[in-house]
Amino acid sequence: MDLVLIQILNGLQYGLLIFLAASGLTLVFGILGIINLSHGSFYMLGAYAALTLTEPLGDVFRALLVGIPLAFLFGLAIEWLFIRHLYKRDHLQQVLLTFALILIFNEMQQTIWGSHPHSIPTPNYLTASIRLTDTLSYPVYRLALTAICLALALAMVFVIQKTRVGRLIRAAESNREMVETLGFDSGLLFRFVFATGVALAAAAGIISAPVESAYPGIGDKVLITSFVVVVIGGIGSIRGAFVGALLIGLADAMGKVFLPSLASVMIYGVMALVLVLRPAGLFGRA
Amino acid sequence: MFRRPSLPIAIALCAALMALACMPFVLSPYAVKFTTRVLVLAIMVTSLDLLIGITGLVSFGHAAFFALGAYAVYFISPESESANALLALAAGAALGAAGAFVIGVFAMLTRGFYFIMVTLAAGQMVFSIFYDTDIAKGSDGAYVNVKPDLTIGGWTLVDFDNRRQFFYVCLIMLAATYLFLLWLVRSRFGRVLQGIRVNEQRMRALGYDTYRYRLAVFVIAGAIAGIAGALFACIDGFVTPELASWRESGLAIMMVVLGGTGTLYGAVIGTFAYSVLEEALKSASTVGPFISEHWRFGMGVALAAAVLGAPRGLAGLFNSRTAAAPLSPGGDFLHRDLARPERRAHALSVRDLARHFGGLHAVDGVNIELEPNLVHAIIGPNGAGKTTLINLLSGEVKPSAGRVYLDGLDITGWPSHRIARSGIGRSFQRTNIFADFSVRENCALAAQARGGAGAQRITHALDVAGLSHRAEAIAGQLSSGEQRQLEIAMLIASGADLLLLDEPLAGMGPEETQRVVALLRDLARDHTIVLIEHDMDAVFAAADTLTVLVQGRLLAHGKPADVRRDPAVREAYLGEEDAA
Repeated sequence: MDLVLIQILNGLQYGLLIFLAASGLTLVFGILGIINLSHGSFYMLGAYAALTLTEPLGDVFRALLVGIPLAFLFGLAIEWLFIRHLYKRDHLQQVLLTFALILIFNEMQQTIWGSHPHSIPTPNYLTASIRLTDTLSYPVYRLALTAICLALALAMVFVIQKTRVGRLIRAAESNREMVETLGFDSGLLFRFVFATGVALAAAAGIISAPVESAYPGIGDKVLITSFVVVVIGGIGSIRGAFVGALLIGLADAMGKVFLPSLASVMIYGVMALVLVLRPAGLFGRA
Repeated sequence: MFRRPSLPIAIALCAALMALACMPFVLSPYAVKFTTRVLVLAIMVTSLDLLIGITGLVSFGHAAFFALGAYAVYFISPESESANALLALAAGAALGAAGAFVIGVFAMLTRGFYFIMVTLAAGQMVFSIFYDTDIAKGSDGAYVNVKPDLTIGGWTLVDFDNRRQFFYVCLIMLAATYLFLLWLVRSRFGRVLQGIRVNEQRMRALGYDTYRYRLAVFVIAGAIAGIAGALFACIDGFVTPELASWRESGLAIMMVVLGGTGTLYGAVIGTFAYSVLEEALKSASTVGPFISEHWRFGMGVALAAAVLGAPRGLAGLFNSRTAAAPLSPGGDFLHRDLARPERRAHALSVRDLARHFGGLHAVDGVNIELEPNLVHAIIGPNGAGKTTLINLLSGEVKPSAGRVYLDGLDITGWPSHRIARSGIGRSFQRTNIFADFSVRENCALAAQARGGAGAQRITHALDVAGLSHRAEAIAGQLSSGEQRQLEIAMLIASGADLLLLDEPLAGMGPEETQRVVALLRDLARDHTIVLIEHDMDAVFAAADTLTVLVQGRLLAHGKPADVRRDPAVREAYLGEEDAA
């Protein structure tokens, strides 16, 4: 029973983390029309940024505060250098270019940080565990991680629902062509959305680093899981990404308890089920 | 549609085959093994081209079937004896096909982005099954202790352990795969697949159960990839879950595109080009230690530069029939230069034009100048009066008020046939061709309508519309894009130089849209074009001016860039008073 409770907490935490990555992916596809295979690399670079920034800055939360704007700038640069040339190209070319980006980012990572895994320290004041019941305790850092993910998610929902930029994003998501036709500087909007996606993925990488550590290929799993979440939730739907991410987080965590050997297959099973019932995802438009 | 490779290419392929056949006698054992691996990969990549280049299914999980085929050899191989080679290959094909069927049943429910994602995830699932469970020794990979051979009555005919023999097995399998796929693609089944790539919606409308066709081709490609995987397992006698990883699938896509999609032999070229380049970059002796250490970086940069620098794909180097390129105004329509002289076409001037149906003001006091030799697009929400306006211009509907001038000549109220004879041609929302007639006969009919069946004018019309190579084809068998081209050819043959086109791009796939947009741009040299269209990408690619109608009234008219910044238009479309 305790195990199940812990796994529910872990599942929620993992789900929220994945949501940060998946929301960027779903926005970038829904609004920019870009299949971004290199999205996982931004998560990976986030984790390695945590490695580099935590030591001089003191703890991982300061690394987060510095890392998010850095990642945003990095996203602006990547959009300007590569992504903006892909609008209106076909999916195949998007796949190829972003695949090339993965090769480049992986090589960057290998050159700068090497191929050994690195652990990132948990802040001293959060190393303790909380006793939840007599027999059950839970690391405080994981709770803090959950809280930060939730805060970022709420902030994003606020921006999208309540601000002018958010309204434009929603309009673009529902009818990209019309917003372009209306002469909003879609280039600027696209760049902003892409950089936001990069910042969110990197933020997820940074704050999860003390739990997951940083190692080559860490982005791959996040990328694939995020794609699964996007497909489940419906492309372009933030709400879908949220529901999908929690669903996947819980399915993954429960799978580890009840079907340990098939836990990693579990999430694909959930996806297959959703696709059969709703081919355009839970909140997608057919 | 798919054509047999041209004679020079066929000769080159045969020469390459001969050269490869000599390899085992010339190359070092290491090089023979390397070439064997490339041959096997080429089989897999060619089967992927069947999906991507022929059917238009961008599968990002193809390596999964390759891995399944490899594991099949492990499953059927006894601990310390050799398995039957034919059985090994059959098992590879069967497991590959079975995997493709199970995945395909779900994946074929999806299209486009979803399809890419679902195949990616499915491939990763296969990877996880082999990686996380111990059905085949888990993440460490498994050994095939004794490689398969073919022994009949005590005589070993072929031994996969013999490097030279195995090289020839792989070479023959690659050649056989290529010839089989060539036959398949040119069969009736293959024509349907190509139809699906060009315009799946249309194929469904024609009565094809495209789900079944897509699933069938997915399974065939899976079986071939499975055979390739089975051969791969026999190279080192070692199988690992990594074979199924999405990186392998990504590399396979890269190889297809590198060589040129939709040609089959391009996949082989791409595999060799990529593998040799990788091998060269990896070996320090050829490029120095720095590059050999960071070869992936160079590979990534080269690939990115290729995608950005060559929008039509590297494929263009080998073959001009490439994947759909982006919409671009005046794109190199069918790669030719007709050097047709520019000629001023008719212009239309509309003054206070109105048409009321009862109390409904379908068109309400519209004024527009439609200058000659430009592409004018009319856009607006449903019920805005776009089609009524076209009908007023072509004389199908008489105006309630206002006047229409054709180069200053008042044609208001003229019957439609008289307007047509004075140089205005129109097409309808639904394609209106004579399906049982040949392309040339259709044009002859159109030319005849204005007296005299001038063969020269027909040839000219077919040329301009880019249909000369299809002149003898039966119109009903053309793709929907070609049928739209034919409609335009008919208008040209009729002698009209002011064309009114009602949704010329409706129901078209991206490849067709691109072709017709390029045709429209090309036509503007000696025609004036007025079109109604909903596809905004195409409108912005094609049009010189935009006219926005809302509830029968002219909301805006001008250059596309100006119209899209017009506050009134933005308000009407987005319903925002405070649009920034």
